[in-house]
Amino acid sequence: MTISLAVPDVLIARAKTGDVEALEALYRAFETPVYNLARRILRSPEDAEDVLQETFLEVVRSIRSFRGDGHLWGWIRRIASSKALMRVRRHQVRAEDEFDEETTGGSAPVSVPARVDLERALERLSETSRAVVWLHDVEGYTHEEIGEMMGKTVSFSKSQLARAHARLRGMLPGEGAAG
Amino acid sequence: MMHTTMEELLALRANEGSAWARRHLEECAACRAELEALYQRVAQLKALPPLGPARDRWPVVRAGVVAARARRRRRLVGWGGGLAAAAVVALLMVLRPFRAEPAYAAELAQAKRQSASLETTLQRYDPDSRVESGRAAALAALLEDQIAALDAELARRDGAGPAGGPDLVQLWQNRVDLMQQLVDVHVTRAAYVGL
Repeated sequence: MTISLAVPDVLIARAKTGDVEALEALYRAFETPVYNLARRILRSPEDAEDVLQETFLEVVRSIRSFRGDGHLWGWIRRIASSKALMRVRRHQVRAEDEFDEETTGGSAPVSVPARVDLERALERLSETSRAVVWLHDVEGYTHEEIGEMMGKTVSFSKSQLARAHARLRGMLPGEGAAG
Repeated sequence: MMHTTMEELLALRANEGSAWARRHLEECAACRAELEALYQRVAQLKALPPLGPARDRWPVVRAGVVAARARRRRRLVGWGGGLAAAAVVALLMVLRPFRAEPAYAAELAQAKRQSASLETTLQRYDPDSRVESGRAAALAALLEDQIAALDAELARRDGAGPAGGPDLVQLWQNRVDLMQQLVDVHVTRAAYVGL
């Protein structure tokens, strides 16, 4: 999803003074992009809503430190990504991740109905794979940035992306088995 | 014939492919189709419709904003009140040989200590960085408002001079009750649900 939300400087300035109306305007402007980012990474809609809430509590707390030398969305997106990845880590600790790996067995072709679409295929990936594929391919983060945010190496990010694409390719109808 | 792996296709997409992979791509239609499918997949990912939240979380965020503001105000009032209280204590120390200590002084000191202790508990918990239910946030905001109103009254009393009495003790005890309720809303319930 490409975001080109232009927020007037005067609105940011008002938000920095703690103006509640301005803060709500920012919330309304970025509510869907933030939720969408979190939801594409996390399995649970409730978790994604919690990330939305945590992100904006952080935005309200730290907006004064936003210097305006980049796009506001870039700043908010970084906060949201960090919050979502914190949850991915927490889920990994609780061993609730890697559902697809356990139930479908490694990288073997998956038997999925031919009508499965990309959205459903994405849902079947582990949260870690989803996070990497979404942050890299859609949000445009580099492997270096993803590795840093996840507390992992660049190689980890690259291999997760390759793994995610191999699995998506296997799950999507119409994508052949060449290679 | 050996084909490119997904890692190599991704590297080619990023213009980082090896010389072998680039050469192979020119010769192999299957791998060119794989690379095209990769481009298509990413384009489709980018074109997925955005998902929106089912519930509006702004009321909870707003309650957090209001609560944080009330906390800041209380801290400022408390700081000012603290200075005034210190001045009163200093004055009492000077006058002590000549005046009997009021009977309520011990109760007042105890209520202030309890209030300060509850403030510390709340600050350690740092409710601004926590996720709470809408109901808890709304209740906390209500309590914050009541405490802020009480603090305004206490600040007014401090500003009026050292005169105090049983009603001042009652005000501080009310503050302790409200603070205790606020701590219960934030800390106790969070602990109960395992947050």
